[in-house]
Amino acid sequence: MALWMVTYDSSGGAAPEAPHPGFLARTLFNTGHKVIGLRYLWLALGSVLLGMFLSLLMRIHLVWPGAQIPFLWGFGSPPERYAALTLFHGSLMVFLVLTAAPQAGFGNYFLPLQIGAREMAFPALNLFSFWATVASLGGMTAAFFVHPGTGLTLWTASVALFCLAALLTALNFTVTTLDLRAKGMTLPRMPLTVWAWFINAILSMLIFSILLAACVFLLSDRLLASRFFSPLTFLSNQPAGLAQSTLLSLWQRLFWFFAQAEVYVAMLPCFGIVSHLLSTFSRKPVWVERAAVLALCGVGLFGFCVWGLHMFSSGLNPWSPLVFSLLASSLGLPACVLVLSWFGTLWNAKIQLNTAMLFALGFVSLFLAGGVSGLFLARNDLVAASISDDFVTGHFHLVMGVAATFAILGALFFWFPKMFARRLNETLGKLHFWLTFAGVFCVFMPMHWLGLMAHWRPSGGDAIEITPLGASLRTFVTFATILTVAAQALFLLNFVWSLWRGEKTDNPNPWRATTLEWSVPSPPPVGNFGVVEPIVYRGTYEFSGAGRAEDFVLQTAAPAPLERALQRKQAAERSTKET
Amino acid sequence: MPGTSIVEDIELIIEDIGGGGGKNPPPGGDDGDEGGKRRGPQVPSSRRYATAIVVAIVSIVMFFMAMASAFIYTRANSNRWVPLDLPAIVWVNTLVLLLSSGAMELSRRRLSLGDVRQFRKLWFAATALGFLFLAGQLVAWRQFILAGFYVSTNQASSFFYIFTGLHGLHLLGGICALLYVSFRKFEKAKVSRTVAAEVASYYWHFMDGLWIFLLALLYLGK
Repeated sequence: MALWMVTYDSSGGAAPEAPHPGFLARTLFNTGHKVIGLRYLWLALGSVLLGMFLSLLMRIHLVWPGAQIPFLWGFGSPPERYAALTLFHGSLMVFLVLTAAPQAGFGNYFLPLQIGAREMAFPALNLFSFWATVASLGGMTAAFFVHPGTGLTLWTASVALFCLAALLTALNFTVTTLDLRAKGMTLPRMPLTVWAWFINAILSMLIFSILLAACVFLLSDRLLASRFFSPLTFLSNQPAGLAQSTLLSLWQRLFWFFAQAEVYVAMLPCFGIVSHLLSTFSRKPVWVERAAVLALCGVGLFGFCVWGLHMFSSGLNPWSPLVFSLLASSLGLPACVLVLSWFGTLWNAKIQLNTAMLFALGFVSLFLAGGVSGLFLARNDLVAASISDDFVTGHFHLVMGVAATFAILGALFFWFPKMFARRLNETLGKLHFWLTFAGVFCVFMPMHWLGLMAHWRPSGGDAIEITPLGASLRTFVTFATILTVAAQALFLLNFVWSLWRGEKTDNPNPWRATTLEWSVPSPPPVGNFGVVEPIVYRGTYEFSGAGRAEDFVLQTAAPAPLERALQRKQAAERSTKET
Repeated sequence: MPGTSIVEDIELIIEDIGGGGGKNPPPGGDDGDEGGKRRGPQVPSSRRYATAIVVAIVSIVMFFMAMASAFIYTRANSNRWVPLDLPAIVWVNTLVLLLSSGAMELSRRRLSLGDVRQFRKLWFAATALGFLFLAGQLVAWRQFILAGFYVSTNQASSFFYIFTGLHGLHLLGGICALLYVSFRKFEKAKVSRTVAAEVASYYWHFMDGLWIFLLALLYLGK
């Protein structure tokens, strides 16, 4: 707890004239956006560690099915436990890490700072969202430990609660961005991070409603015995195969409508963060910034229309796979614009290869590698040839899971000095980066191969009987997983050590960045900007300004003639007061 | 105040120079109708409430669209669809809800004329009609149950209960907002009564439209 309290220790005289808050108001009911943002990050950290541990269990079980894993063995009926384990791993990683950390964590902390607001639009709502998220994490965890029937109900209710929290967070983000920007912070001047958080909030608002509706249907089926998905009434007089496909496809439609777009909900803020980091550490403006913003919008728009690509084999109208596969392929367009913008920014730049930048570059590499296999999955004809669990698992872990984690880590290295007034250790950070970077490629690239191999198998083979090559690949993946997970100890060590013992930074702007959060002390005081409202005079990415002493200009820096006019005016006013 | 004049000067100069962002940047986030009013720390801009309710309505529309598309999809694909006779009282309820919206508009007109007493009376009438609608919906449920249609009877009845139930739940939220406008002492509040009444009315009329949409869906889809 002492960790997030740090934020408040240095608030000093800049805080608005509020009475000193009581203990509960400072801890459980603290509505400060920075406090809530940090707490989301802590929640994500705990969840990612737990989720990683679960994936380790799964890999070990796949290679040594006979091994008695203490955690799994205690619950009996291993096949169901294995499915529950996968579900638990997925829900932790997708909801609590990939959705919560880049958007609710960093977004809550830095969106108000970057647009020059003092607080989110609805702080109390924000607090409610946070505790609802905590409750949903508790529910998902508890669901793992109770009887599977009850567990599923509990899990569905927890997901519904998470949806509600995500919706309220998205509402808060949208209104904050629209209505609370500082003077002069016009839309074209907003940092790409803010754009990404904003577009992402709109997308979340549209898709989490769908998942909420699906969860309400499912809960009502389970608790009130309603008949939305229940097959009993009309299964009886239909041919078996047909009945199954139409029945399940209602749930599939609702679910994939959410879930495919959810990938972009996890990725959009990461796109923003990576563009921001690449520009800052290349000391160059984001190349084709407007096009990058449009591409972010495009990702949000197309991401909304491609859910059908998960349902090529579920009895859709024969034309719709063609439409969906065209739409899904057209996602390549905004993705290409983003990638081009990143490379254009890096071109001919004086790149500063620190850990934050390494993670941003790692993101680009993973995104490209995972994106290429996505092209196979978007084509309805190729899917038939390549789809199998391992191929898909490899694809989405590279492009969504690991890539987003890299962006989160990059953001953490970048903003750590602002949040804690200390720096993470660079040597440990770089070592951690290289080990993880090599590790994830060793884990997920062979998975694509395994997936293709599973398909070459002559028909009807049992999933367990795989070729010796496949078996050794699996073992390789498992060892790579163990090593990659072990490498995360380096990060934890670095993180915990730097929190208390890291190199202190007195400089409020150690990266020489341009956005508003770097113009205030670290950590920013309550109310963020002291007594004077911030005024924004320029766009975000003004680097390498010719003829200036520094190679960057803060967004709050007034243009020179204006500065002089201001000083003259103040002097005149002072003299009129004195006389 | 010496501070304001400087700020205003800067604003003028910003508009001249334009900064680095664009050639001719539009004004920033919170000018527009309020100008420089929101200067001091923590002074809320009331526009955020109107924005929030519009955004929330979009989100709720998506929620009910998911439900409506599930209804249409199930209706089209089910070969055992049992048509549903809506209880007659739902038509009365619809009328009650429409009257409530009308009363609310009348009361807001009184408020804009500065007549707070009349406003309170009419606003109270709108709230009471809202309660009456909810009671009517419960009667509809009761009639449905007496006729032997439960949530689990068939798909159509499941949809009837979930549509009316969820709409009722959202409407209950609206009633809370209406009560807030009635009983809040606005001298101390962050929002003015006009803004609160306006925001509550957006939501209330939306509830109205939503109900008519759901009713049409249930009626035409039977």
